[in-house]
Amino acid sequence: MNTEKPLILPIKNIITENERVKTFVFEYEMDFAPGQFVMTWIPGYDEKPFGLVSRVPGEFMITVAAVGESSKALHNMNVGDLVGFRGPFGSTFSLPEAGSIALIAGGYGMASLFNLAKEAREKGIDVHVFLGARTKEELLYLDWMKELGAILHVSTDDGSEGYKGFNVQVFSDVILAKAGIQTGSPNGVGDDKVIFTKAYTVGPEIMEMKVADICYQNNIPFEVSLERYMKCGIGICGSCSVDPVGWRMCAEGPVIDGEKLKQITEFGKYHRTASGKVENYPWNKD
Amino acid sequence: MIDLSVNLAGIQLKNPTILASGIMGVSASSLKFVEENGAGAVTIKSIGHNERFGHHNPTVYAWEKGIHNAVGLSNPGIDGSKDKIQKSIKILKIPFIGSMFADTISNFVMVAEKMAVLKPAIIELNLSCPNTADDLGRMYASDVKMTYDVISSVKKVVGNIPLFAKLTADVTDITEIGKSAESAGADGLTAINTVSGINIDTKLKRPILTNKVGGLSGPAIRPIGVRAVYNLYKAVKIPIIGTGGINTGEDAIEFIMAGATAVGIGSGIYYRGIDIFKKVTTEIEEFMKKEGYNSIEEMRGVAHKN
Repeated sequence: MNTEKPLILPIKNIITENERVKTFVFEYEMDFAPGQFVMTWIPGYDEKPFGLVSRVPGEFMITVAAVGESSKALHNMNVGDLVGFRGPFGSTFSLPEAGSIALIAGGYGMASLFNLAKEAREKGIDVHVFLGARTKEELLYLDWMKELGAILHVSTDDGSEGYKGFNVQVFSDVILAKAGIQTGSPNGVGDDKVIFTKAYTVGPEIMEMKVADICYQNNIPFEVSLERYMKCGIGICGSCSVDPVGWRMCAEGPVIDGEKLKQITEFGKYHRTASGKVENYPWNKD
Repeated sequence: MIDLSVNLAGIQLKNPTILASGIMGVSASSLKFVEENGAGAVTIKSIGHNERFGHHNPTVYAWEKGIHNAVGLSNPGIDGSKDKIQKSIKILKIPFIGSMFADTISNFVMVAEKMAVLKPAIIELNLSCPNTADDLGRMYASDVKMTYDVISSVKKVVGNIPLFAKLTADVTDITEIGKSAESAGADGLTAINTVSGINIDTKLKRPILTNKVGGLSGPAIRPIGVRAVYNLYKAVKIPIIGTGGINTGEDAIEFIMAGATAVGIGSGIYYRGIDIFKKVTTEIEEFMKKEGYNSIEEMRGVAHKN
């Protein structure tokens, strides 16, 4: 696919993940690398970026929560209805040659990480997935990750599946357990002692921030996918540029490595809205 | 020794490439990133009298021959942009051009007054956005009298800051508008804005842009831009920033030979990357070396002699 006019495709299949989330399947060989996204046009409503997922050749998928007007409109569409795509766009995750990686996913972050896990398994890399959600029903792609042979560390806010609490805590506990430090936590018990070669995180920014801190403290190289408001997706409108470096999250991003992330001072503090106005995150009291 | 610098209405540019308005100009950081990639000056995305979120996406996409957009002048409004403008001027080493728009003449004056206090190198009036007719009404630059009235009013409140008017080629005779701008006190012209157009998706059987109508830019409009600059150069004495589909040094030289003092680059970032400003400047220099030119000035308007 080129990056020109929208490619219009019929919905081939719809998978209901839970009450709020659906996965839409399209028959098309989308030539993308893990971490990239497509601008998805819901005709008559809006066009939004979504992480690309592909389980089998000749097909790709997007996973969408019904949170706004346009995503609700997409949820109301049926098999055969038409959706437009521009992309794939953006920077990509990079895997180490060998070793053991950690994927820390919250919200719909697993969508952007699925193909990274798939590629890693194909290369023989161990994949630890720290999957967090509010409830058991909201855990995404659980069966698909098991199918890949990933090692799952599940957590839910309400304890309906796995550890009761945040996946960031589990990630931290496992790192400490690997280092032989007793924490009294049930997490990481009986785990191997190999410290992660690299970590990858996609999800709410507050979660990504905490993962970044843990990685810096433990000297684990990592990559993060940073979401910003997007209009063009092709690197010209400047809507998704970050302070103070000006990098565009549709071009130099969305995947940023931990060393470069240090230069993005707005990370975890604020973002810009559709008008370009700075909006502080609720937890940022600066 | 080849001199790439130009004097634009009294403002010195180290090279003739300028970031055009509406591209990459959402934040001071973004403008700085463009400076680092070689621009001679940068233009902020147009600031208006109040905060605007713009149209729903799709607002921008590439088509076979260029870019098509109807962003809808999204911006935080002049009051919400003060910090951004101040910061831009503070961190940039190159001239900062403050692009602005409004609905009424009194709001134009209000925005211009507030912007002038912040001391941009140049103020550029966006009189020709093709994507906001529904709520902002007719483009000022579509009418000789409206152009005169808005420029003469704004001119009174901007002191000695050079005032440029950005014009559209979507008029019967752009030279009439250009002359009107000059007589109203404009210190320069920017030509051209994007050209109004529609692309229809034949599968969805609807225009691609949410706003339906949008501005075409990129290679498709370059000859339209060159024609506008060529005709304006004959009609007015004030300097012209030539804009429209510039991707290469040769494209820029076409505009300069038509009479442009400097050139605006926008969509070209899509085609050649953020470092297009460096690339175009290098290509201009190579051309000058080959053709025996020592300054941009020597090339300006030469197409009128042949």
